[in-house]
Amino acid sequence: MAKVNLRKVVKKYGALQVVHGIDLEIDDNEFVVLVGPSGCGKSTTLRMIAGLEAISDGEISIGERVVNDLPPRNRNISMVFQNYALYPHMTVRENLGFSLKIAKRPQEEIDRAVEAAAQILSLSEYMDRKPGALSGGQRQRVAMGRAIVRHPDVFLFDEPLSNLDAKLRTQMRTEIKKLHQKVKSTIVYVTHDQVEAMTLADRIVIMRDGHIEQVGTPLEVFETPANTFVATFIGSPPMNLLAGRVADGEIAIEGGPQIAVPDPFSGKVVNGQEVILGFRSDNLMPAGHAMPMEGGFTEFDMKVDLSEPLGTETLLFGSLAGKEVQAKMLNPRPVSDGEELRFQLDLTRCHLFDANSQQSLR
Amino acid sequence: MNENLQYRIRARLLKVLHFVTLFIAMAIICVPGLWVVLNSFRPTVEIMAKPPVWVPGDLNLDNYRAMFGAVGEGGVPVLQYFTNSLIISVTSTLIAILVGMAGGYAFARFRFKGKASIFIGLMLTRAVPGVSLSLPLFIVMAKTGLIDTHMGLILVYVALNVPFTIWLIDGFFRQVPVELAEAAEIDGCTRWQAFWKVEFPVARAGVASAGIFAFLTSWNEYALASQLTRSTFSKTMPVGLRDFTSEFTINWGGMCALAVLMIIPALILTFLVQKHLIAGLTFGGVKG
Amino acid sequence: MSRFRPPPWFVLLLPAIIILSAVVLIPLLLSLYSSFTPYRLTRPETLYKWIGTYNYEKAIESAHFWAAFGRTILLLTIALNLEMLMGLGLALLVNKVTYGQRTLRTVMMFPMMFSPILVGFQFKFIFNDNVGLVNNALQSLGLSNVAIPWLVDGQLAFFSILVAEMWSSTSVFAILILAGLFAVPRDPIEAAKVDGCTPWQSFRHITLPYIMPFIYIALAIRSLDVARAYDIVQIMTNGGPARRTELLWTLIGRTGYVDAKMGYANAMGYISIFLAIFFTIYFFRKLNAARSELGMAG
Repeated sequence: MAKVNLRKVVKKYGALQVVHGIDLEIDDNEFVVLVGPSGCGKSTTLRMIAGLEAISDGEISIGERVVNDLPPRNRNISMVFQNYALYPHMTVRENLGFSLKIAKRPQEEIDRAVEAAAQILSLSEYMDRKPGALSGGQRQRVAMGRAIVRHPDVFLFDEPLSNLDAKLRTQMRTEIKKLHQKVKSTIVYVTHDQVEAMTLADRIVIMRDGHIEQVGTPLEVFETPANTFVATFIGSPPMNLLAGRVADGEIAIEGGPQIAVPDPFSGKVVNGQEVILGFRSDNLMPAGHAMPMEGGFTEFDMKVDLSEPLGTETLLFGSLAGKEVQAKMLNPRPVSDGEELRFQLDLTRCHLFDANSQQSLR
Repeated sequence: MNENLQYRIRARLLKVLHFVTLFIAMAIICVPGLWVVLNSFRPTVEIMAKPPVWVPGDLNLDNYRAMFGAVGEGGVPVLQYFTNSLIISVTSTLIAILVGMAGGYAFARFRFKGKASIFIGLMLTRAVPGVSLSLPLFIVMAKTGLIDTHMGLILVYVALNVPFTIWLIDGFFRQVPVELAEAAEIDGCTRWQAFWKVEFPVARAGVASAGIFAFLTSWNEYALASQLTRSTFSKTMPVGLRDFTSEFTINWGGMCALAVLMIIPALILTFLVQKHLIAGLTFGGVKG
Repeated sequence: MSRFRPPPWFVLLLPAIIILSAVVLIPLLLSLYSSFTPYRLTRPETLYKWIGTYNYEKAIESAHFWAAFGRTILLLTIALNLEMLMGLGLALLVNKVTYGQRTLRTVMMFPMMFSPILVGFQFKFIFNDNVGLVNNALQSLGLSNVAIPWLVDGQLAFFSILVAEMWSSTSVFAILILAGLFAVPRDPIEAAKVDGCTPWQSFRHITLPYIMPFIYIALAIRSLDVARAYDIVQIMTNGGPARRTELLWTLIGRTGYVDAKMGYANAMGYISIFLAIFFTIYFFRKLNAARSELGMAG
């Protein structure tokens, strides 16, 4: 259990810089998820915390200790790898106990710790098998067990679920969450899957191109995305974005409807400013199919090009100003392609970004 | 920060140590060979000088000129040896490749009883030491009149190379998915066409490396060649090296020049295939 | 009535079997037979005289034979072990290099291109007591003022042969072990580092089990080829001086060709063949064991 601090951490490979001086403070017992598209530097960051990659500049500390040049073995961390990284020539029991054996702990202590970990992860039946004879989910659990056994200061997870099928992934996700509740500990978790990030994290760190785009709780990053990248990356389906220009308290969408500047943003925009209007499909609904919207909303007609019924709701695809827009219909009825509907857009839940900086105007 | 500093210093030291050790190791590998190359450009007098001449004062091509001269240095017909070596190595390599390809394909694609034992059996023929084999071979060849002919040595080298060629080629064919040939057969190829049009091209790199390995073995072989060849018309270069020695003296300069002549083709070929060669040996062995 | 049709694998293997029978098997049968006769090259009629196991008894009673036998085993054991260790070291050194590794790998293969007989001459030259590189260097550096008799003193000659043999064969190990190191997945090594292993511990517990099969392949390949050492020894000392570096193979060669006692030489030849076969099978078995350890078998 320890804090992890990154200060102006830089990673360069020769002339290529992949992490551009990031700052991040991770609290005791906090579950932090680094998320971003592939190549954003999230795994590199994790590996620098682990000591598997040297840092080119800046400072990393675990607890109160600066660990810049320490080898991984002196950082008291444990890590779960994407490909499990089990030792193929050892049984499950030997895999679990390996780190303690290396640390020359007494045999009975090793046995106790291994047994306890096996209990937590229900691995007891497989203790004498080798990894080759285990299923993907079981291997994943062994990898996690190996991490638990050491009682490290920090757990590092490098896309641990990406090799599992969808069903198992959901199941293991829950197990990881439970694990965090049982084994109170600081966790840094890397994934490219925003659903994983949302469900697991105390705080999410969204990265792109070696920069941190936003740090916040899952709801913060969902409800107040700092820029258009975060807005489209978090949440599914991605946020609708429409370019427009501010004119007299309204946003003129090029070739589309005029929409009043949403309340939270009035006074933060100037006439003639190029902006991007963002809203989620949940906030664009056909009129008369849900509770009537309270507060400010605006209405316009839109042709539905395609509909995807999901049961409790139906996704509607239309286009505004030449861009595809997704809307949601609650209490759905069948919609035929090409049908023109009247839509209501909830202005209280709209977002506004500056078109040049792509940053939120909030 | 103290702890960090300590580790940083240690990492630096290890780096330096690594570099120095690597340098020494590479020097040990290179020096004996380079010494031979250097001496091939020096007159024998300077090589044998006492006290030693460290900085070569007189580099020239005399040894090479003598070697390629009409009669050759001290009457050693180097060009004839070179031709013999070339004919014998190339021919035996080609045959070994064909035989090895058939055998390797059999091991890679068919399941049959006693496969493992037959494989080991074939490999073991390679384990027979050259000297031990040369005695009975000498008798057989003398009886059949194959002694001291190109043909005789070619046959021997084919036999010498076939086990290894099978091993290497087997490994490469095994990496070619069976489905590939099956797809080709469904597309209307005969088994024969499927092999040449689909499987062979995929495994070609492996076959090439097996060939070069076989060539090197034949090119460098001495124990058998020294007993099975007698005359200028069949002696190979490794055997020819001995012509530079007489009872009490050795013509080091001339010998070094011949050595360089021997190494150059081997050098070129090895560079060409080094990658495939390693892959072949390890795939064949590890993926069993 | 259908004609017998041999299975395709047999047809494919047939050329290999024929040529190996003709060049290896039949001569070996002949040598097996002649090892029971007092056959001398100079007197062909001796081939038809059966003397039973006399040659073998003679070999077993011969002190020269046992000396050569022991020395051969000693040389092989020391050489194979040292080559393996040094090859491993070299492979690890090269594996750590990031820039110019291709070049180093090529340089590493350098000795493999040298004909063993060339290696013999080269080291005979280098260890020459009068004009050799080693003595010249030692004397020029003032480390020794006498000419060290590298190839004349029995133990020094054994050492010199060992050096030559190792120079020519270490790279086989290095290359194959390097290939093994490339094949080691990165994840378990990193997991071991995080699990608290020192570099030595992660080598010992993770890397080594992974490359064990490659080490055995190298040993198997080398043991198929051990008699290469004959060329080197024959040139450097030819078993001399006064049999002090006599190996099984030089003894066989001399008995057969110089003394022309073919029958006796063949008897000893058979013993050397079994020695080679023993080593080879031993390493093939080890290879299979190491493979199944990692779950690669099948």
